[in-house]
Amino acid sequence: MALVEAHHLTKTFRRPDKAPGLRGSLTHLVRRRFTTVRAVDRVDLSIEAGEAVAYVGPNGAGKSTTIKLLTGIVEPSSGRVRVAGRDPHRERTANARQIGVLFGQRTQLWWDLPVRESLALLRDMYDVPAATYRERLARFDAVLALDEIMPVVARRLSLGQRMRADLACALIHGPRVVYLDEPTIGLDIAVKDRVRQFLRELRADGTTLMLTTHDLGDIEDTCDRIVIIDHGRVIYDGTLEQVKDTYARQRNVHLQLAGDVALPDLAARFPAAAVHAGPNPGEFTVAFDKAALTVGQILAGVIPLAEVVEVRIDEPAIEDVIRKVYAGELILSPAPTPS
Amino acid sequence: MSVKAYARLAGTTVRATFAHRISIGLGTIGVIFQLVAMVALWTALLADGTRIGGYSLPEMKGYLLVGFATGIVGRGLGEHVMAERIRSGAVALDLVKPLDYQKMRFAEVLGGLVIELAVIVVVGAAFVALAGPVQAPVRPDLLLLSLVAVVPIKFLIIYLSTMLCFWTQNYHGLAWTRTALTQLLSGALVPLALLPGWLQTTAAVLPFAAITSTPALIYTGKATGTGALLLIGYQFLWAAGLWFLARLAWRTAVRQLTVHGG
Repeated sequence: MALVEAHHLTKTFRRPDKAPGLRGSLTHLVRRRFTTVRAVDRVDLSIEAGEAVAYVGPNGAGKSTTIKLLTGIVEPSSGRVRVAGRDPHRERTANARQIGVLFGQRTQLWWDLPVRESLALLRDMYDVPAATYRERLARFDAVLALDEIMPVVARRLSLGQRMRADLACALIHGPRVVYLDEPTIGLDIAVKDRVRQFLRELRADGTTLMLTTHDLGDIEDTCDRIVIIDHGRVIYDGTLEQVKDTYARQRNVHLQLAGDVALPDLAARFPAAAVHAGPNPGEFTVAFDKAALTVGQILAGVIPLAEVVEVRIDEPAIEDVIRKVYAGELILSPAPTPS
Repeated sequence: MSVKAYARLAGTTVRATFAHRISIGLGTIGVIFQLVAMVALWTALLADGTRIGGYSLPEMKGYLLVGFATGIVGRGLGEHVMAERIRSGAVALDLVKPLDYQKMRFAEVLGGLVIELAVIVVVGAAFVALAGPVQAPVRPDLLLLSLVAVVPIKFLIIYLSTMLCFWTQNYHGLAWTRTALTQLLSGALVPLALLPGWLQTTAAVLPFAAITSTPALIYTGKATGTGALLLIGYQFLWAAGLWFLARLAWRTAVRQLTVHGG
């Protein structure tokens, strides 16, 4: 059995239908009307121990709600979820011992206490033996530079410092599964790099990770499996490579040509591609499907027309694919869950 | 075991109290002013040996002292911390802790007792010195037992009413309503014996009287012997009953925690 298993996991909630203004509020008092919203809709998910899964989707797609279901914070409306064989909502406190959670937008530090005290409090909550605790802190310190923020009261921390401290809080008890909801939100590049390095090390240690993020750099750095969710439904579940190979097939070749070449002449040579003129004379962009054409074929086709001064090729980034999904341009066919 | 964790959690309240000493200090001064005002009022009413509702002036001062102490005790940091965490959804982080939510909150309130008791001792001593003569407690042992029961009852009433924040966003309204109800029906405003009959009946079936009226009756000797023991028994019954009621309510309340943002 997989470590995290969800079967037809669904969460619906009622949103009050209120007309605007006082009148709308009064009407709502008398005649209560609600729209039922499915935040998470029959999600199937199976995560093996040691996997690192990116869980992505546009705002309001149901990512955070899924995390709340998997962590036991909210109860599913229907469907089933098990984490290491436990029902996370019914057995909430038992489940809490085996998971680590980070909500990038919130802190679990005690606001009025120095970071050190918050960590000590968590150590006692999770019954972490003193030696293990010291050892973990030393390891975290190496990547997250915790020592400098240990004596600082939480409310005086900068966002980057807070996130480093929060990562330590989420992991101080050595959880088997770690859920990270936007762990790099609002961070500068330097801190982001630290966080990502930390996540890679966690993975190397065999910790199971589930990561929701809008920052696709996080994904390419840490995960090899990606689950895309939209309107509460899983619309893709597979390897990152596969997404790129299957759905990011478009390549753009930017050409700088010497001499006068007319756009129609160039376009006529590549009926399978879209050719656009650039802002300056002699600049062209050829957009093509890598299954239909190769860069070599394009160069071979251009050379008889004019001398090629410069060539630049855009590699597709996973973010392009996801951006298309967000914009509704691309319908991904659901792929079978890798077993 | 997690006793250590609960104890450490209790310690956080003390730390937080120091961090918020100004606002908590001002709140305490407010309660002291209320005590002073009440004493002035009753001194005027009970001048030249008059009795109202069976209370002489020294007895009434004892009553007010109990009202002050039970008003201070068991507040912890106040409900706004929990209310705000529910309102903002930060309560989600409390739910991924391996400890019981209700016990965690109770531990925090117990931690706050350290400072509350210090305030009560200092203000109480000043009160006796300045406002005397004050009647001494008739049965200090029973009084203490009764005051012990006040802490969980007061915590649970605040805890239960704060839970309503899962349904409404407006905790100020909730807090005002609860404070008004508690003041009136606990006997903190005036002894329950002075209320109209129907209000007395209402107060008799509700847990509020266990907060101020019961310890005040025991302090002043209006309740003695079996009567006092019976009242204390009621207090502990209420404490236990509310504890389980709160557990039940929590199960429903926490379901209201839906999705703040995706």
